[in-house]
Amino acid sequence: MFAAMLALVAVGTVAIWSAGNARTEAVFHGMWKANLTTAISGLAVYFALAIADYRKLLSWTAVAAYLVALLLLVAVLVLGSEVYGGRRWLWFFQPSEIAKLCVICMIAKVFGDEERRTFRWFVAGCAIVAVPVLLILMEPDLGTALTLIPATLLMLFVARVWRRGLVTLLAVGGVAVFAVLGAVYEAEKPGVPESRRERILKWVPLKNHQVSRVKVFLFPDEDLTGAGYTLRQAKISIGSGGFSGKGIGKGESNHLKYLPQSISMNDFIFCVYAEETGFVGSLLLLALFGALLVPGAWTAVVASDGSGRLLAIGVSTLVFAHVWINIAMSIGLVPITGLPLPFISSGRTFLVVVMAGFGLIQSVSIHGRSNTK
Amino acid sequence: MNRDESIVSDLSCWATMAVFIAGLVVLAVHLKEVQVDAASGYNYKKVRQSVRRVQTAGMRGRIIDRRGRVLADNRRCVSIVCDASAYQKKSWNETVDAIAAAIGEIGETIGRPSHLTERAIRRHVNQSLAIPLVAWRDLAETELARFMEHEHLFAGFSVVETEERIYPFGSLASHLIGYVGRDRGAGDAGDEKFNFREFELYGRSGLELYYNGYLRGVPGEKKLLVDARGFTEREWVVSEARRGPDLVLTLDADIQRVAEEQLKGMRGACVVMDPRDGSVLAFASSPGYDLNDFVPTLSHDVYDRYLNDPDKPLLNRASGGTYAPGSTFKPITALAGLSMGYPKDELYDCSGSFELGDMTLHCARRWGHGPMSVCSALKVSCNTFFCNLGCDIGTNALMSAARSFGLGSKTGIDFTDDRAGIVPDDEWKRKTYGERWYPGDLAQMSIGQGMLLASPLQMAMVAGALGTGHVVTPHLKSGEPSQKRPLPFSKEHLDVVRQGLRMVVAGGSGERGGAGVAVEVAGKTGTAEFGPVSRRRKNTWFIAYAPAEKPMAAVALIVEDGESGGGTAAPRVAEVLKRIFNAR
Repeated sequence: MFAAMLALVAVGTVAIWSAGNARTEAVFHGMWKANLTTAISGLAVYFALAIADYRKLLSWTAVAAYLVALLLLVAVLVLGSEVYGGRRWLWFFQPSEIAKLCVICMIAKVFGDEERRTFRWFVAGCAIVAVPVLLILMEPDLGTALTLIPATLLMLFVARVWRRGLVTLLAVGGVAVFAVLGAVYEAEKPGVPESRRERILKWVPLKNHQVSRVKVFLFPDEDLTGAGYTLRQAKISIGSGGFSGKGIGKGESNHLKYLPQSISMNDFIFCVYAEETGFVGSLLLLALFGALLVPGAWTAVVASDGSGRLLAIGVSTLVFAHVWINIAMSIGLVPITGLPLPFISSGRTFLVVVMAGFGLIQSVSIHGRSNTK
Repeated sequence: MNRDESIVSDLSCWATMAVFIAGLVVLAVHLKEVQVDAASGYNYKKVRQSVRRVQTAGMRGRIIDRRGRVLADNRRCVSIVCDASAYQKKSWNETVDAIAAAIGEIGETIGRPSHLTERAIRRHVNQSLAIPLVAWRDLAETELARFMEHEHLFAGFSVVETEERIYPFGSLASHLIGYVGRDRGAGDAGDEKFNFREFELYGRSGLELYYNGYLRGVPGEKKLLVDARGFTEREWVVSEARRGPDLVLTLDADIQRVAEEQLKGMRGACVVMDPRDGSVLAFASSPGYDLNDFVPTLSHDVYDRYLNDPDKPLLNRASGGTYAPGSTFKPITALAGLSMGYPKDELYDCSGSFELGDMTLHCARRWGHGPMSVCSALKVSCNTFFCNLGCDIGTNALMSAARSFGLGSKTGIDFTDDRAGIVPDDEWKRKTYGERWYPGDLAQMSIGQGMLLASPLQMAMVAGALGTGHVVTPHLKSGEPSQKRPLPFSKEHLDVVRQGLRMVVAGGSGERGGAGVAVEVAGKTGTAEFGPVSRRRKNTWFIAYAPAEKPMAAVALIVEDGESGGGTAAPRVAEVLKRIFNAR
């Protein structure tokens, strides 16, 4: 697991180097170095957390960390600087990334100690998740919310908290997603008069740019120069990589700036990587993620106590959700969502957070082995 | 610990792991679709959006006369081009402004403003960003020196060598050679594959236009890799452009020069050809223009001057101007008569005029020539004789005789202007004027007047055909096979007419046409009158071939508003023939 993580950091650094070099602004050319230094501090956090006993850690800090995270989420809404139409940055980091880990720790602490299967605890669990999620949605950062919800719901499910309620929630959520997709389809399909389109979209709880992303997902071949441009270029760059890729640093979509420059280092870095390394590289990357996530889940299987299991499940599911949604959106399987690819994208806060998360899993693996096994 | 009772479900941990694996497998399957199954499709899309094909221009072939003198050449010249990718800005407007500003500055530095307008720059940025923009063409040495001194200040601007046309003989054979402009290389069929075409020299008139495809050579191909905004990232040559072959003419620059000298200060034309094979030796039209005025581009002032000149210097009179042939047509009338069986001996008595209904056509000699034979009528150019003869043989016979010389149809010369002229008949007149054909029309036509029109080139063919008995298709490009067809007249009849034509020069109306020429000349004068009676104007002709026994040169020369064929045109032809036949 540790080796896979190091390999992923290396892959990420190279991808950032390539994506950064394509940019005209010189400040991005050195971005890969920043990524390395961040990774080193991330490693420090990883080792610190891995050595520490997660049980003590949770009991001492989980609640406090959760509250601090809430505070930061509020602070970012008030003090944060606006980038690309969202308030996500507080000074040098993104509180929502930190909040992800804090919420997972909080759930692990609350539901790991004793059995809490009742309806009342279900409500409490939902509340623990909902408050930060709502704050994150206000930034707005739909992607983070979308990964946190499945991770925490799965934790509650694994903890057997009033499963009927969870299943209902899941069903309602699924129906809602399909309703929204259906509504957008009805509104945006060719030949719908403008008035009818407006009437339908009034009922859809999405912002304009989100509607257009869903539209691109539903009709990828329309509006190729406008809203559909990014997805088209993403697919072209991934597809033209072919089986073996064009070689590291030789991705043309990236270097000729067909991939929008603002996102090639972040949410769409997979395109840069896949173009340069081809299907072989894509498989390697998936294998590396597998080598990271499967032991993560295995840690949950062998963990001796509830909170340890929940922690391992939560962190790995969070990372898995990021990986899956990010790659899936790059090839048009799901609508485009602003979401980094763990270890690969150049998000420094997120990199440290993910490494910290795996530090916790490592800690569970070291300190919490089930004695019965 | 009882698993079922544990706080955390063991099974769901396994399930989670399964979901992870399944999820990654799903991604792998879809990635295979995109990167392996559909890779070529995406690769094609990528190439289409990022690769531009450029047609490059080859160097233009030269135009050379029959003795190897270069009439149209290429000279190396320096141009300043701008690579727009040095001016990548946030918005296109800023890019345009930045380039315009730089061009303005360079203009001040070198002391010549660019021909580019802001609109032209904008159009370039919008449409042809990937290829260099030519900002100055053909720099003078001082301009180049000033630019080189400050070159480092102007990123993206560089000096390139290009070619311009140069015409070493200036205005010599200007109408024949024609001029070039600059154009995006023309597309041959199936050329849509190119995204851009470099500007290349493109023939706009004359031989430069007619033989454009020959002279321009084979275009090359370059590929450009462009980025998302259209700036060129990299380029590579797919195939080099090949230089066009030289065009060797049948023209003789010396004869051409003499012909032009003879027309100097007048409006007129002179065509000299070899009647044996159709080679055109001289092809002069006056007034002319200096071809170098058109390089690199014709300025508006000069163009307006040419266009508004009442003498119409841009008009190519040699093959694009048509005139009534006047009396130079009479040999054809004579041949038509002879072939109809009319005797060559004293046939008509000239009383000084020909009367038909209320129409009277006067003879040059008001008191009449007396009894005339074919030869003597040709010699003195007796109108009465030919009017009578023409009216006797009838329209159809005269018409078919005229057509058998190639009048009324295009000559087939390898040249842009090839006017057919007019050989009128009943049907033509009804169509054109809505009038029937009167006997008077026939009488007019018999002496080359009225609606009959022919170009000097056609009359040179007539002269040659009279001398050789064959009508040859004229050509300008050396080495073209000559096409000839025999005249439908017997040698006996042709000899009668030839005898007459020799008499024209030997003491007849065209006496001066052979003066001083080392060989015997046969010819025919012509003075075609036109315009209202009060302001009668005369176009004066002389057509000739020489040596009379074995023709090697046929000439037709016309001077607009001359005095008479014998007085104005004939001596000028003699000068041309002297250049050909008199040893220097």
